[in-house]
Amino acid sequence: MSEHKHHLKTADDPSFQLPASLAALAVPLAAVGGAMLIIGFLIGAVAGPGDAAESWRFTMSAYLVAFTFCFSISLGCLFFVLIQHLCRAGWSVVIRRVAEIFMIAIPALALLFIPILLASWSPSGVLYPWSDAGFGDSHGIPASTWEEKLRYLNSGWFSVRSAIYLVLLSGLAIYYFRLSRLQDETGELTLTERMQARSGPAVMIFSLVTTFAAFDWLMSLAPMWYSTMFGVYIFAGSMLAAHSAVTVATYLLQSRGAIRDEVTIEHYHDLGKFLFGFVTFWTYIAFSQFMLIWYANIPEETEWFYTRMQGPWHSISYLMIFFHWLFPFLGLLSRHVRRRPKLVFAWSIYLLVVHFFDLYWIVMPQAGPTLGGASGILVSLLLTLGMFGLYIGGMLWFTRCKQVKILAVRDPRLPESLAFENI
Amino acid sequence: MTDKSNKKLHGVYAEFDAVDPLLAACRRVRDAGYVKTDAFTPFPVHGIDKALGIKPTALPWIALACGLTGTAIGVFMQVFMNTFDYPYIISGKPFFSMPAFIPVSFELTILLASFGAFFGMLALNGLPKFSNPIFTDPGFDRATDDKFFLFIDSADPRFNHKGVARLLTDAGGANLVDVYEDDTSTQSPKWLWIVLGSVIFLSMIPLLLVARMRVTNSSSPRFHVFFDMDFSPAKGAQMTTSLFADGRSMRPDVPGTVAVGQFDRELDFYSGIDMDELARRDSGRAERLVRAMLYPDDPQDATADAEAAAEQPADAVPATDQPAAEAEPAEAATAPPAAESPATELNPAVVEPAPSPTGAAVTSEDTTPWLRKNPLELSVEVVERGRTQFDIYCATCHGNDGRGNGLVNRRAQRILATAWVQPSSLHQDTLYQDVYPDGKLFSTISNGIRKMSGYGSQIKASDRWAIVAYVRAMQASQNADVDDLPVDKRDELKKLKAEVEAKLAAAAEAEQKKAAEAELKRAEAAKQKPADAAAKAIP
Repeated sequence: MSEHKHHLKTADDPSFQLPASLAALAVPLAAVGGAMLIIGFLIGAVAGPGDAAESWRFTMSAYLVAFTFCFSISLGCLFFVLIQHLCRAGWSVVIRRVAEIFMIAIPALALLFIPILLASWSPSGVLYPWSDAGFGDSHGIPASTWEEKLRYLNSGWFSVRSAIYLVLLSGLAIYYFRLSRLQDETGELTLTERMQARSGPAVMIFSLVTTFAAFDWLMSLAPMWYSTMFGVYIFAGSMLAAHSAVTVATYLLQSRGAIRDEVTIEHYHDLGKFLFGFVTFWTYIAFSQFMLIWYANIPEETEWFYTRMQGPWHSISYLMIFFHWLFPFLGLLSRHVRRRPKLVFAWSIYLLVVHFFDLYWIVMPQAGPTLGGASGILVSLLLTLGMFGLYIGGMLWFTRCKQVKILAVRDPRLPESLAFENI
Repeated sequence: MTDKSNKKLHGVYAEFDAVDPLLAACRRVRDAGYVKTDAFTPFPVHGIDKALGIKPTALPWIALACGLTGTAIGVFMQVFMNTFDYPYIISGKPFFSMPAFIPVSFELTILLASFGAFFGMLALNGLPKFSNPIFTDPGFDRATDDKFFLFIDSADPRFNHKGVARLLTDAGGANLVDVYEDDTSTQSPKWLWIVLGSVIFLSMIPLLLVARMRVTNSSSPRFHVFFDMDFSPAKGAQMTTSLFADGRSMRPDVPGTVAVGQFDRELDFYSGIDMDELARRDSGRAERLVRAMLYPDDPQDATADAEAAAEQPADAVPATDQPAAEAEPAEAATAPPAAESPATELNPAVVEPAPSPTGAAVTSEDTTPWLRKNPLELSVEVVERGRTQFDIYCATCHGNDGRGNGLVNRRAQRILATAWVQPSSLHQDTLYQDVYPDGKLFSTISNGIRKMSGYGSQIKASDRWAIVAYVRAMQASQNADVDDLPVDKRDELKKLKAEVEAKLAAAAEAEQKKAAEAELKRAEAAKQKPADAAAKAIP
């Protein structure tokens, strides 16, 4: 629109590069993160909560939380990119590259999945109870039922499935990242057309993979429990985390002088709307999952929630209602809040924290009835912060080394996105 | 123009070719201080609100208020209905269970918020509006095609025809058009009323037909739109089913299970026997009794029968415990105790009956440690409960007063039923508390006696105890003295008695008077008759 004059910038404008102050953080962040991850593991191995078996279970579960936290952000960003192409969105072009950078971390995260894969082969069920063949017997599950369960939940088949998920997701991420970057050079319209044409099947693959990965990696921690809504539940949390992460990253980039003219209040407003929407969507799914199980009141279904109504988990379950729904819901309800980038940024950080607690609440009650005391909290903190540091540091390092622009500079819809206005 | 001179000016609009000139013109008009303006475009134009200086709408607040109203209605309606007005157990959930209330509250929130947004939008826009003077100019039609229009209303406080025309021209507007108020008739056309009337009339026909069908008879069978809603496939009480081997649609408890609300008190409460004491005296019998309580329908073998019978120690009672047998002469005479219940033989634990050829003076001792005290905490409510239950289940035979002359008995005597045994009067020494403990009475109600079948499966244990309490109260009432009443009730009773007596006396007097009158009349009539006869005879 006539009020905008800044799409005159050339593609190699310095404000489209990763700011040096952020690039300098890459190696320290990754190094400190890696160190924390190792220290967390060591503390977990030596002085974790409970006896050796319990301690290992706790540590591996905390590692799974940390991994899932980072992975869910990238997963959500992959879907964000796919859905923008699928509905040919114009508004989001200025922030799509940020999401693409988060998305391209998936192949790297696949390496961090290896400890989980190893744990899934543990004959004592160190992380996944089903990898212990005696679990069914010791938990009063009829042998015939347990045999049927083991047909699906066994180390070999689990590893094959995990590999398929990671390969498919990495493939999608790399494909979309490469084409988008190629367009930075060529500016070819056909690249957009190709990405759009393939986004439909990609979304189908994505949704199947997400659902089954959620079943395998998180739901199978309680091997006898099942909820068909679980995949959507994880997806809702991931999308919330992805929109939060994109907001936080964009705000930080802008505060360091990059893409200042490109991302406007209008884009924050839209991100705020999506944050609000996914807070509501998450609540809707979480409550639907709860209510169906609560209403039917069948022991094999209530088991999961029963575990989360014991000890400290009970309070956390209640706190989730307020912290994961009511406060952000009321906080993001107003248009005035959503049109203030600083407030949207603050709420995004808040939502990333509660998303972590959501995952913590999903995984950790299966590891034990308590928070693990001081050492347990320390291990959880070290592993999460370490993993997150490694994740962000690696991303910055990759962006710097590969000279990745933080804006899709030659996207054909860039002018539309620059001129975007909410009414 | 001249023919319009006597018409009132509505406003002026100008035509633009593209969005950008329109927005620039909007801004100029806004900056010039005009507030009653509007722009017309073939498609939504971002930023035009700002360009026209339109204030933020109040619509979100309307939607929020309506949404919160919906939440409040949803929550309060359900809490009121389900928790207070009509507490009804649904799916075993508490009357107040928030998770169950959330979906309805959520839907109502969305519904009312949507209504608020939709109707609020209409109201804020002054819609529906059936005509707009701007539409009268054919050139304006291009607002839905390829032209952009900016309109300034004559109601604007700054409106000045010449000034506005100049401003719009300066801002790049072309083809300025003066819009005049529409002075055509506001009367609705006649044909509209005719059509409307016809439609209303026609729509009445189906209703009239339905109404007619409801008051007329038809020989053809009713048409069932939803057959299985008219005839529910669900089984009613006492129906048969092919689903289960025993053909009963009412399912008995699964052996060895305890239904919710059952057996939540100690065993004494359900047997009327001090079980600890019984176990001490005769552990075998106590064990069989418990088994029989848990597996009432277990017809495994003779022993099982015996065990089941062991549950009914009262069975042996009639012959042993009521030697006088005034109430049941037939029973006592015709049914020797051993023959009455083979279980007694198999199970010596049951009160040992002393064989008595006459069935009269049996003085065997009842060794069962019956509970001597009603385990319920007695209160007026309990006795009232006992009365209702007694009147439902017991009074048909025993009579409301417990004298053994209920409706069934009266009918049996009228038809001279041969197999009928008169129900006991509950007002006899042998049934008083000192010889017939509460626990034994409870057991008799539960398991039956002679011809009376057990009511254990029909009356809840606590209600059976309430009946025991009521029977005791009834027994006491028949032998009560005025002094048994609390002091404040005595005067009341005396007054009542005086009243009743007075009424009875009055009634008796009235009766007497009537009788005397009747007598008098008859006497007069008798006197009259000979006189008449005489009168007849005279001519």
